[in-house]
Amino acid sequence: MTSRRDFVKSLSGAAFLALAGRTGLRAAAADSNEIIPGKEGMIVRSRRFLDLETPVEFMSTWITPTPHFYVRNHMFEPANINAQKWSLSVGGEVEKPFTFTLADLSKMEQHEVVNTMECAGNGRSLQNPKVPGIQWGKGAVGNARFRGPRLRDVLQKAGVKTGGKHVMCRGLDVVPGNVPPFIRSIPIEKALDTDTLVALEMNGAPLTRNHGFPARVLAPGWVGAASCKWLTEVKVLDKEFEGNFMSPGYRFPNQPGKPGEPVKPEDTHPMTSLTVKSLIATPSDESNLKSRSTKIQGVAWAGDAEVKSVDVSTDGGTTWQAAQLGKEQARYAWRQWSYEWKPAKPGTHVICSRATDSQGRTQPQEAVWNPSGYLYNVIDRIQIHVAA
Amino acid sequence: MSQRKIVVFAIAVMLSATPLFHGQNSQSNSSSELPAGAMQQKASDACLVCHDATIIVQQRLSKAAWVKEVDKMVKWGAAVDPQDHDPLVEYLSVNFGVDRPAYQPAYSAANKTKK
Repeated sequence: MTSRRDFVKSLSGAAFLALAGRTGLRAAAADSNEIIPGKEGMIVRSRRFLDLETPVEFMSTWITPTPHFYVRNHMFEPANINAQKWSLSVGGEVEKPFTFTLADLSKMEQHEVVNTMECAGNGRSLQNPKVPGIQWGKGAVGNARFRGPRLRDVLQKAGVKTGGKHVMCRGLDVVPGNVPPFIRSIPIEKALDTDTLVALEMNGAPLTRNHGFPARVLAPGWVGAASCKWLTEVKVLDKEFEGNFMSPGYRFPNQPGKPGEPVKPEDTHPMTSLTVKSLIATPSDESNLKSRSTKIQGVAWAGDAEVKSVDVSTDGGTTWQAAQLGKEQARYAWRQWSYEWKPAKPGTHVICSRATDSQGRTQPQEAVWNPSGYLYNVIDRIQIHVAA
Repeated sequence: MSQRKIVVFAIAVMLSATPLFHGQNSQSNSSSELPAGAMQQKASDACLVCHDATIIVQQRLSKAAWVKEVDKMVKWGAAVDPQDHDPLVEYLSVNFGVDRPAYQPAYSAANKTKK
């Protein structure tokens, strides 16, 4: 009988790149020249499955170019989808199940939404105590233009029955082993919202495979997990979908708990909107600067709410000054902000940014810890070394 | 034992039947290897069928947390013999425990062509 080791060796070499040799743990921060088609200069959190993070320095434009937009996959991206043969089925609690081709969707009235999409787990590596999962730093977030027919219009073609409470979205992710498929549902109110799309385009071009070609849901202002990629089925349900990625996945504690302590599923709720947050894009953390005027820049967002202000501190949070918000804005899009700083003295300075939103929320000093490390939105901090 | 081998084989057939991980670079050599140790090969065999080593090596978890993760992975199809469970947890805890230095990720190539 073939040994386990021989069996493993017989598999695709590409599938077992990580198995080469027995030389031990490779040195860190290596391999900076790996080409990932369609992506440029991204932080590689995982190759298989593909999870790529945007360096914060790339967050210096209102629209994040697609090559710099973060990628999050729980499973394998589907193989080349034939757009001519692809279809989207709509069923469940509807008057008449309907199937759309890509051409059908393209002919419907199109709507554009500029949306800041963020992975629920962005910032997870900054949680303390540590939690399992993709150890995102700050960059699982980006802002892009999404375009496509409204999901509301797609559903209305089938006719939603009054018993419809949730809308399940299923994609063509390739599921390994016994892993539960990545299927989630969103409340009917969000599905029927005027800005919720079946997006076909991102930043003026058809969705790339990384971002859900040929169609994905766009649930603006909500955690990225609500925007199902490689969409193939939409099903209206009379209740929330029951599956791993609705529970225990993607749930947030109803009340803050003690860091490190488990939380019972019944004491959690499904994640929906993002929360208020800001990031410092430039200068980079641990930069060396000369003692002259420097523009500190970044971005701020608030999910369903709007950013009202961003404050900057150059003394580690002791005093705060208002930053200037950028001109470009859209309901679900981040705001750029900037602050001109002339260091009063040389040495190390801790720069902080803190956003406040229209709901009165502001970024906290300490994280609201939870076992999955979701929704980290602590005041952003970097260190700058100013030369004399 | 044989049922686990069937699961592993089925996964491998599925993966080898689909184009190379769907857009991921087939020539990539950036996947981190798992560290040397008595459980290195068994960890590789059990874990790297479904995902690469990077997902593992970036974690910094307590032993109790590693128990939970290994149990979840077994439930999701990872082939781990019962007698290897505790040694595997120990291997992961030692190499990727909370006191280990922070993981430094790799970066993908930057496109030097101006658009």
